[in-house]
Amino acid sequence: MKSAGLIGMSALLLTASLAGCGASSSSAPPTKNIKDITIGTLYAKSGAFATSSMPEYSGLKFWASQVNKTGGTYVKALHKKVPVKIVAYNDQSSATTATSLYSQLITVNHVNILVADFGSVLTSVAVPVAQEKKMLLFDQTGTGASFFTPSNPYVVLTSLPTSGLWPTSLAQYLIHKGYSRIAIVYATNDFDQSQDQTLVRKLKAAHITPVYNNGVPTSTSSYSVLLNNMAHTKPQAVIELGYPNNDIAFMQALKASGDHFNMVFTIFPGQLPQLFTKTLGASSINNTYTYPAPPLLSFSHVNYGLNTTQFESAYKKATGQSTNFLSIAGYNTGLIIQKTLSTANSLNQLSLRHAVSRFSGSLSTLDGSFKINSEGAQIGETLPVAKISTNSKGQLSIKFVTSPNS
Amino acid sequence: MFAYSLISGILFGIFFGFMALGLNLIFGVMEMVNLAHGDFVVLGGYVGITALNSWHINPLVSLIFALLLFFVVGLGLFFPLVPRLSHSRDPEMLSLILFFGLSQVLEALMEIKFGVNPESLPLSVFGNSSWHFLGQSYQISWVVSALISLLMILLTYVFLYYTPMGRAVRAVMGNREEARATGLPVKRTSAIIFAIGIALAAMSGVLSPLMIGSIDPTSGLGLTTIAFAIVVIGSLGNPLGSVLGGLVYGISLMLMQTYLSSWSVLVPYLLLLIIVLVRPSGLLGKGVRHV
Repeated sequence: MKSAGLIGMSALLLTASLAGCGASSSSAPPTKNIKDITIGTLYAKSGAFATSSMPEYSGLKFWASQVNKTGGTYVKALHKKVPVKIVAYNDQSSATTATSLYSQLITVNHVNILVADFGSVLTSVAVPVAQEKKMLLFDQTGTGASFFTPSNPYVVLTSLPTSGLWPTSLAQYLIHKGYSRIAIVYATNDFDQSQDQTLVRKLKAAHITPVYNNGVPTSTSSYSVLLNNMAHTKPQAVIELGYPNNDIAFMQALKASGDHFNMVFTIFPGQLPQLFTKTLGASSINNTYTYPAPPLLSFSHVNYGLNTTQFESAYKKATGQSTNFLSIAGYNTGLIIQKTLSTANSLNQLSLRHAVSRFSGSLSTLDGSFKINSEGAQIGETLPVAKISTNSKGQLSIKFVTSPNS
Repeated sequence: MFAYSLISGILFGIFFGFMALGLNLIFGVMEMVNLAHGDFVVLGGYVGITALNSWHINPLVSLIFALLLFFVVGLGLFFPLVPRLSHSRDPEMLSLILFFGLSQVLEALMEIKFGVNPESLPLSVFGNSSWHFLGQSYQISWVVSALISLLMILLTYVFLYYTPMGRAVRAVMGNREEARATGLPVKRTSAIIFAIGIALAAMSGVLSPLMIGSIDPTSGLGLTTIAFAIVVIGSLGNPLGSVLGGLVYGISLMLMQTYLSSWSVLVPYLLLLIIVLVRPSGLLGKGVRHV
């Protein structure tokens, strides 16, 4: 009986992490019958990525509501404005569930536009699905360098540069400061691993070999032992590359350890400052370094859509929520889709992709300059490094230590 | 680094042993795997966090509150659920399905109530000092959590081996039908153990943010998996096995984090595989019981 329970338990735990897969394939409706543009996407209402996915989805929905208020988005292929409709499913932060849902959006819902969920983990499963179904994937924030290859024309990164480029400014700063003892801990996923590889390569080119460079599972929630091991190497700079949950756990362990380093760097306080100050307290991120992203990095001069200040005001009025980088990323994705539809001569997916290439480099949005390379990877936006300062009232400010325009 | 990892592993191991204790007690008495175990741990965590953030109640006080509250919750859940299952054709298998459903319900309710962001207790909640041992400093929150866990394990041991109710519990664990035949109140014993199992899970949950970093509504499944691995490593149905299983898990995890950090997520599954292949009855098991 106990062994039956054991097998049953194992089966259920397995079932808990698996979702149904497979979907029948059928063709999309003819262009002339299109009454609205359907945008298919996924969001994570629960799980490790909910913190980031939900504001991103909210930003996309905000864009759709803004567009629909004006009668829809202009579709050049139809020579008219068409309302936008979002079809979205909850992938619960599970890449397995996301795989089948992406297929479902394409083959069952016949969406016109496919948009990936937040981040590299949930985008990594969308890339091969979109390529196989020959559907252009609007990748919002999945910056893993491996997604962009010469053989795949079906992906476009809308926000943030590909993660292989992220550490450029960070490496420059570390080298400039003359730090020779650098400790790095990174989460083992496409997003963080590709950053680690780039950072180590650039440091080694400057004859600096990190004194500690280890990967940890993305699910890691306790960094105390790892931090102790890092401290043993007596680093001047400690770099933690992870997702928001990793960064929070790391900062919490750092605070409890009482260790002090000349420089501590984490990624997400620059994107989700409210989350960090609420969860950890403002003092926990004081004097640490990060990549400041919009709205901390403000763009007042744009040639498409709302600028940062206008967005903050309109978004707050419409949703009641404060702006963070991910809501801006979601809205920015909408802007890129809008521009694509107004540029493409047909709704054929490759035609959409060619349209993106045509306006690449000429678009300035609240997320910065939109420019992609031949593989669809974003190269227009920059990620400077900044130092965070918080005052006694918990208000946060940043000081750039590398140029925001580099 | 080895000494630090070893001592940290022991501190974590004691905590994880405590976390798995409730699961083991319930399985030992009812032969039902409570797949919602991890969710009760998470609920306990939210009790500790909410009590501190909203009413400035120290987690040490929240532990007692969690014990009482979840004992009542456990009793409330037992009577409508467990007796029906016990009379079914395959109680073990049906219990998996039922408690999996309960786990999903609890997860959804926590999501509604507490949102999706990870939450935690400040690690300095028991003070800013450190414990110095063998030239290393350890967080005081770890030491306090391990001591409380050890105390609760000892109290459970005393309850099981030195009280009439504990003797009844062990009799039911040994053979349910024989215990019933000798006139022991099997149903009442089961109800109390179920409630104690849930209460112990919630108590460990109060301490869990201090040990595992943070909790969110979806943390339950992972914690159930860890608790299940610990129980299997020690011995299914043997509460003392939880302690040994916890130590094996905690030390392995910390050593893995130090020397092979990328692979540390595999620890519970690797240990589970090794134990099932080498010693299926667990480290303290006396052989498979046939029913």
